Amino acid sequence: MLFIETNNLKIMGEKMFSDFFYTLKTKGLNVSLAEWITLQEALSKGLCNSSLTEFYYVSRMILVKSETDYDKFDMAFLEQFKGIESEDNPTKQMLDWLDKPEMNELLHEDETRWLNKLEEMKVDKDDVEENYKKRMKEQDSEHNGGSQWIGTMGKTSYGNTGGNIGGIRVGGKTGYQSAFQVIGAKKFKDFRDDRTLDNRQFQMAFRKLRQYSTRLDIPKTELDINQTIDQTCNNGGYLKIVMDKPRKNAVKLLLLMDSGGTMIPYSTLLNELFQAVSKSNHFKDVKSYYFHNCIYSKLYKTPECENGDWVDTQWLFQNYGSDYKVIIVGDAAMAPEELYSKTGNYRGPNGGYTGMEWLQMVKRNYKKVVWMNPKMAPGEAPWREAETDIKQIFSMYKLSVKGLNDAMIKLMQNR
Amino acid sequence: MGQKFESTNDYVASDNLMASVNIAVALQKPLLIKGEPGTGKTMLAEAVAGSLGKKLLIWNIKSTTKAQDGLYVYDTIQRLYDGQFGEEGVDDIAKYIKLGKLGDSFDSEEQVILLIDEIDKADLEFPNDLLWELDQMEFYIHETKRIVKAKKRPIVIITSNAEKELPDAFLRRCIFHYIEFPDKELMEEIVRSHYPDVEDILLKNAMETFYNIRSIRDIRKKPSTSELLDWIKALEIGGMSPDKIKTELPFMGILVKKDEDLDTVKMSINS
Repeated sequence: MLFIETNNLKIMGEKMFSDFFYTLKTKGLNVSLAEWITLQEALSKGLCNSSLTEFYYVSRMILVKSETDYDKFDMAFLEQFKGIESEDNPTKQMLDWLDKPEMNELLHEDETRWLNKLEEMKVDKDDVEENYKKRMKEQDSEHNGGSQWIGTMGKTSYGNTGGNIGGIRVGGKTGYQSAFQVIGAKKFKDFRDDRTLDNRQFQMAFRKLRQYSTRLDIPKTELDINQTIDQTCNNGGYLKIVMDKPRKNAVKLLLLMDSGGTMIPYSTLLNELFQAVSKSNHFKDVKSYYFHNCIYSKLYKTPECENGDWVDTQWLFQNYGSDYKVIIVGDAAMAPEELYSKTGNYRGPNGGYTGMEWLQMVKRNYKKVVWMNPKMAPGEAPWREAETDIKQIFSMYKLSVKGLNDAMIKLMQNR
Repeated sequence: MGQKFESTNDYVASDNLMASVNIAVALQKPLLIKGEPGTGKTMLAEAVAGSLGKKLLIWNIKSTTKAQDGLYVYDTIQRLYDGQFGEEGVDDIAKYIKLGKLGDSFDSEEQVILLIDEIDKADLEFPNDLLWELDQMEFYIHETKRIVKAKKRPIVIITSNAEKELPDAFLRRCIFHYIEFPDKELMEEIVRSHYPDVEDILLKNAMETFYNIRSIRDIRKKPSTSELLDWIKALEIGGMSPDKIKTELPFMGILVKKDEDLDTVKMSINS
């Protein structure tokens, strides 16, 4: 083999390898230690042919799980490895330490360091440790088996493109584009996606809004086929019918969304929320209406809030009963007169009441109401007068995954 | 390592797609394939099976599919019938346990390829329900107290259209590959693998039109590989003269399915 085995080099390789992990993390890629260990396994099995380009593809397919993250990965890879001129040697140094039994100690140290760092990063430690132990066990047995990295180098069994013997490329071109060529092309930039919240998390939160009618006090009207069959079988084949309460989600949802000017920066977030609600098909009923800054005597049917395209708020109270759970989404940012003046609504009629009175009517008509605020101030914020006052009426949560989860729990609590 | 996956006569795979398959096999992890509709995600599994000479089991996921369906189903009704008519072997529950696709792939004497097709069609929790089974390659049948363990670890290929996002715990366990839309070179190779005798000039004009249409910004549903293949076939059968393809856009309904897209295409090609 051509490379020189010195401690310096090994440590350089190790450092470069573990640094890569942190570079990925700082670029916003959520790489788990489990995936990292899988990558080590791939390396120790010689799946990269000790070529940087193949290392690029292998690490990407193991560490990145969405095309939207390819760009972030490219950036991290470029930052970490751009100094490397030659395609082959440095990776070999980098990978070599992994497969030396005497390096296991180092590996241990390194893992411990990772674990400590990871703890700061709030990674599930149990998961990590369990996987790590398992992985170490596997690795030991592989070493005992004598499949040393150097031993296998001369005839790496992997590689559809071939042409790599002992780490030196012998003629022909590999089927891959060079890693840097790929990165240079910036193909995946358009896929990039920096939304902090994803729709799935919202949907998961809405899952909490479940109340099965089996738990309610209603008559048993449905034939429970499974139980009937089981009971009949247990009964030696003589029919025994079992009835059950119909099992349906009884939760009905009323979504009232602020569509005022100050909400424009949050339109994507609101869109996500709306999508999540409409994708959650487990509700018995979902109704959505819009308002402008505060709720008054009319609620609009569309986010454009056009005059005339509305329903009476009173009509809403009469038609959608108190068992609807209400989620109000708004930034609660308004001038005091919008909340306290009987003529405070500058877009439409007030109906003889102030905004505050309308909000109190909502509170009286519905047992369960929460207010989701995309820009809620943390803690007390007396300078945001309207927000502070509305908090007196409704439980207010920040429109984030955690906030939404908390709000859903609030909606499901028994009174 | 044993056999390796390579492009077949009917299926042209890019190099790094082939590498993903081989690495997933080497690391014994499920391979998750994502990509635009019509990029041949499902066909990949067939090609892998063909190339490695292994049997392919397909588990088609629908919105009502439960994880349990893939493991086993206990046919209680059959047992009830048999009990009423005094059939033999009613006391043997094992007779009424029917293995699902995943169960079959574990139980097979030979290594098989298991395709879990369109996993994102199912309920949000579906992938999580399969974590243990895919990790450990075993499950437990309560009724018969039997553990079904994979005799030969199946090669699992999972496809997703990204209709729903998949849970992180599931993604962590997979090797991921995103099938990019083929560039012109690869596309030409793909078309030729299906229609070896296609006329050069027809292919050239059809491909140019096809990529032009795909590059129109306002188009809602971009035509895909399978639609291009159908279109070229129609052009061949219809005997269109190749120089009219670009201007007259014959059989456009094959490439573009939405009315509003059809108008957009006509406007942009004419201008």
